[in-house]
Amino acid sequence: MTGTLLFQSLVLGVLLGGLYALLAAGLTLYFGVMRVVMIAHSAFLILAAYLAWFFHQQTGMDPLLSLVITVPLFFLVGVGMQRLLITRLRPATLTMMSVLLTFAVALFIEGMIGFVWSGTQRRIQLPYSGASIEFFGARIAVVKLVAFALAALALAGLYLLMKHSRFGQALRATIQHREAAQLVGIKTDRVAGFGFGLGLATAAIGGTALSLDATIYPSLHWHWIGPLMAIIVVGGLGSIPGAAIAAMVLGIGQSLLQVPLGTTWAQTIFYVALFATLMLRPQGFFGGRLAQRF
Amino acid sequence: MRNASDTRLPATTPAGSEEGGTTRSARWSRGRVARVAALVVCAVLVLSFPSMAPNAYILSAGIVVASYACTATAWNFMGGFTGYVSLGHAAFFGLGAYGTGILIRDLGLPSFVAWLLAGVLVLLVTIPLGIAALRVRGASFVIVSISFVLILLLVFQAWGSFTGGSDGLVVPRPFPDLLRPEHHRVFFYLFTALLAVMLLAWWLIDRSRFGTGLKAVREDEDKAQALGVPTRNYKLVAYVVSATFTALAGGMYALWFGDLDPIFQFSIMLGSYMVLMALFGGVRHLYGPLLGAVVVGVGLEYFKLEFGDTQLHLVATALLLGLVVLFMPDGIIPAAKALAKRFGPQDSSIREISAAELQERNLTASGTPSSTPSGTTTGRTVADDEGEDER
Repeated sequence: MTGTLLFQSLVLGVLLGGLYALLAAGLTLYFGVMRVVMIAHSAFLILAAYLAWFFHQQTGMDPLLSLVITVPLFFLVGVGMQRLLITRLRPATLTMMSVLLTFAVALFIEGMIGFVWSGTQRRIQLPYSGASIEFFGARIAVVKLVAFALAALALAGLYLLMKHSRFGQALRATIQHREAAQLVGIKTDRVAGFGFGLGLATAAIGGTALSLDATIYPSLHWHWIGPLMAIIVVGGLGSIPGAAIAAMVLGIGQSLLQVPLGTTWAQTIFYVALFATLMLRPQGFFGGRLAQRF
Repeated sequence: MRNASDTRLPATTPAGSEEGGTTRSARWSRGRVARVAALVVCAVLVLSFPSMAPNAYILSAGIVVASYACTATAWNFMGGFTGYVSLGHAAFFGLGAYGTGILIRDLGLPSFVAWLLAGVLVLLVTIPLGIAALRVRGASFVIVSISFVLILLLVFQAWGSFTGGSDGLVVPRPFPDLLRPEHHRVFFYLFTALLAVMLLAWWLIDRSRFGTGLKAVREDEDKAQALGVPTRNYKLVAYVVSATFTALAGGMYALWFGDLDPIFQFSIMLGSYMVLMALFGGVRHLYGPLLGAVVVGVGLEYFKLEFGDTQLHLVATALLLGLVVLFMPDGIIPAAKALAKRFGPQDSSIREISAAELQERNLTASGTPSSTPSGTTTGRTVADDEGEDER
């Protein structure tokens, strides 16, 4: 019996870890291209979830279709944010000030969501909301599977884009060495803007996936930003594979710990991992040179 | 021999160099007198605020602003000197508040003994926390500081049997026989006294070798380390001092307000207010956080009064923080100085008199008769004879 429970939470952990991995990949992108820690990432995540809910509310169509609108929209917002806000900061204090700036953006989004849609908790009711399938004795909600599939597809797409396209090469070159990338003719400013947009697009996808099976409210993003930040520090700032692995490990850990400890205490695993990382390897477990100085 | 490009002599003073020195020191002491006078006027204004406040609401708003000023100044021990932005100082505020409350509840200590003891406890707790957090710099440090608040919020909400959880923790009033307005008045003075101690400590550190070391960390940590500044220990001391003062402000708040809730004590908003206020006023200035707290704090209280419970105060805070970060990251004190300079007389880098005229003026100013043959220097410009010693 406990074996089934264990397997059940393991599967749920993998599903949760997939979503964490996608979101952490977005955070890593921002950090890679601009050395910016984007506190507003999870606020955009919640905003996307609200947009999906609103889309469903207004049109009655499946919230997944809202991706057609939100992904390009968030991409443009990301490019605009990089161009209009982040680049205005002084290079010397960019890292610190960008944290404050994106923090302000997060507060702004939280406030505007609360103002427009009120603080009431929202949830999408779908025909397949209650459905679940049996998988080797574990019951898995269909919405969680859909969310995971969405996250996995987006991550795979991101991987292909980064590894096998000219734009991906330019992006990786910009992350690795900005000046050198400029010397070989890469327009690093434009690439950095697109990188930012890509990161925000992951928030749009993640938010839509989240909206399928979560109750959303404006201040929910604080529950996401802590774990996501812990993931990227544990994984090593700037390393996308590191972030994905850390996300999986910690997501599964959280899911397993929920059984004996309950949801609240299980969340502390992220912070325990964060402090363990700081004491043992401040640069993160998978980070390269990049992470050391930040 | 004096050169035409020699500007050591103040050209406008009619007397010699020795007297130039004395007038400068006289002017400096005049500035000092003005500064002391302004300080006294401000102190009198602040101290007379409780008797001028028309009603208890205004007085309690004044106390809230005073507590903001305390927290922002306490934050500035770390943020201002070392440049490490901590978004999580609310953790120490909440620890101080809860520490005070729990010590009174469980050990039955007198209120202010519990308050001091809570401060000492936070000081001890901060040492290992600081060692862990200060292993990283920049963005990672901010992440760690935010995680302090988030983790403590989780723990204090979940551990209801010890902290009261979401039901809150009632802290007994230290002066049970005082009426409410009197109670407010006493606490206004207590907060002001705490603030005065903090400002004095900041001023002392600012002038010390220790403070110089911290500022070196802010400007370039690697270079400071290379020059032999014990950066880690200095940062740790600054962090501990900052956290302890924040905890004392939190404990004072607990004694005043009497009711604690994890949501409000361990709130990210509280930590961000500290940063916003300090940045708004100017982190490099002694009174910067205080000024920021007065402006932003009054604004926040007004917003709460006017718009009540809507989410607009989040939006307003966000816009203000964004504007400050984008357009005046050094705060309003330097921004106002720069503005005043813009409307004042323009200083230009181009000299509009020739070298000969300048030399003539310098010589007549110092009272010695011109010994230079006038023919050799006429018509020459400063650029020509730079570095030459002409006789």
